[in-house]
Amino acid sequence: MNVALAILWKDLVCEWRSRDRVVAMLLFSLLMALVFHFALPDRRPEEMRALAPGLLWTAWIFASLLGLNRSFALELENDALSGLALAPGTRGWIFLGKAAASFVLISLVEVLTAFVFALFFDLDLIQPAARLAGVAALGTLGITCMGTLLAAMAVRTRFREVLLPILLLPALFPVLAGAVDATIAVMEGHPPPFEAIQLLIVIDGVYLVVSFLGFDYILDE
Amino acid sequence: MTADIRTSEPLTPATADLPVLERWTGRARRPLGIALLGLCALYAWTVVSAPLDSVQGVIQKILYVHPPLAYGAYLGFIITAIAGVLYLRNGREEYDRLALSSAEVGVIFCTLMLITGPIWGKGTWGRWWSWDPRLTVTLLLWFVYLAYLLLRSFSGGGARTARFASIYGVVGAVLIPLNYYIIEIFGGRGMHPENLERSSLGDGMGLPFVIGNLTLALAFIYLLIGRWEVEGLRAASARRTAAGGGGS
Repeated sequence: MNVALAILWKDLVCEWRSRDRVVAMLLFSLLMALVFHFALPDRRPEEMRALAPGLLWTAWIFASLLGLNRSFALELENDALSGLALAPGTRGWIFLGKAAASFVLISLVEVLTAFVFALFFDLDLIQPAARLAGVAALGTLGITCMGTLLAAMAVRTRFREVLLPILLLPALFPVLAGAVDATIAVMEGHPPPFEAIQLLIVIDGVYLVVSFLGFDYILDE
Repeated sequence: MTADIRTSEPLTPATADLPVLERWTGRARRPLGIALLGLCALYAWTVVSAPLDSVQGVIQKILYVHPPLAYGAYLGFIITAIAGVLYLRNGREEYDRLALSSAEVGVIFCTLMLITGPIWGKGTWGRWWSWDPRLTVTLLLWFVYLAYLLLRSFSGGGARTARFASIYGVVGAVLIPLNYYIIEIFGGRGMHPENLERSSLGDGMGLPFVIGNLTLALAFIYLLIGRWEVEGLRAASARRTAAGGGGS
């Protein structure tokens, strides 16, 4: 447990000093807003509002891919990953520390992106803010759990930047299905449907357990 | 010195180097192949002589190929996951080779399923593809196992590749029930026919369907064993080369 907290603290301090991951993710997701503007030209505001949940999650997921790739690229310098593998105790705690740091950073980017999307596409996110935050947290938990496990593998292969999306995206479609369904309801002012929330909770639980246990075999050298 | 003794030995069959499990399955390959040839002939004859469907016409005969391919694909992916777990538990390389072979054969079956499905869809629904939950999930699984093979080829071989692949194989198998859970939730608008009970087939259609399942199941096992043996021989030859090169 202490290992997890130490790694979380280390990653957050590193990020605070360099600020490169958050800035890169944020810039990328803001560019996505522009991409959507040009890819879906001449839409009426209400049309864009209907599309917004899907667009928002698209921007969030692609920005996360960027951040997750960086989360282990950092550890490759000076062979820090082997150092991490020597930490006492179950390696699952290393996973939890890395995943928690990614969760914090990605959530921060998500909040800022949502704010900008609300301005660009004239969305009211103030009223459903609490529910939206809950749905986003559930979705992001699934993304960071599976993403951290697969990023730890992808970073030590050839073409690592390419491989992570190919490995991770198929595992994220269930998350996307539940999260977008819930976000559509929340943005229309309704409570999120029970099935979607249930699906997200099940995925989060399964991904957390699989990644926690699987991480033991990933670092083993 | 040991290298000299090794090279002066009389040549033994290459399969002698294989672990017991692979040697045993390798021996079963030939009789299986002969049985498969016979079954293929029987299969072709039953499919040709089966009555035409009164509504769909000849396109309905894809039914004798498509579901058995689906079973093969799922079987392949499940074997990949189980072999992966076995490898992680006891580290024996033949399980990793089985996982790789099974994933490859599964991808072939899945690809053929994804080709035969749209042909039937074009004839019956009038379009090649529909975003039906069951189709979407199968396409997704296909991507998972292509990613699995890509991961293997990008991670440089050896024990690390085997460990990475085993973990990803387990992730892929976890996705199968998760995706079917999604079908349960969002699947109200599906177009895919429900799984067929034998009794729902018309007169004379049951036999070719059963024979089709049997033939393709045998074809799956035959391909799997053959592929597994090739991987085993490749590893054995690499070991010999390493031992010979190290000694001289």
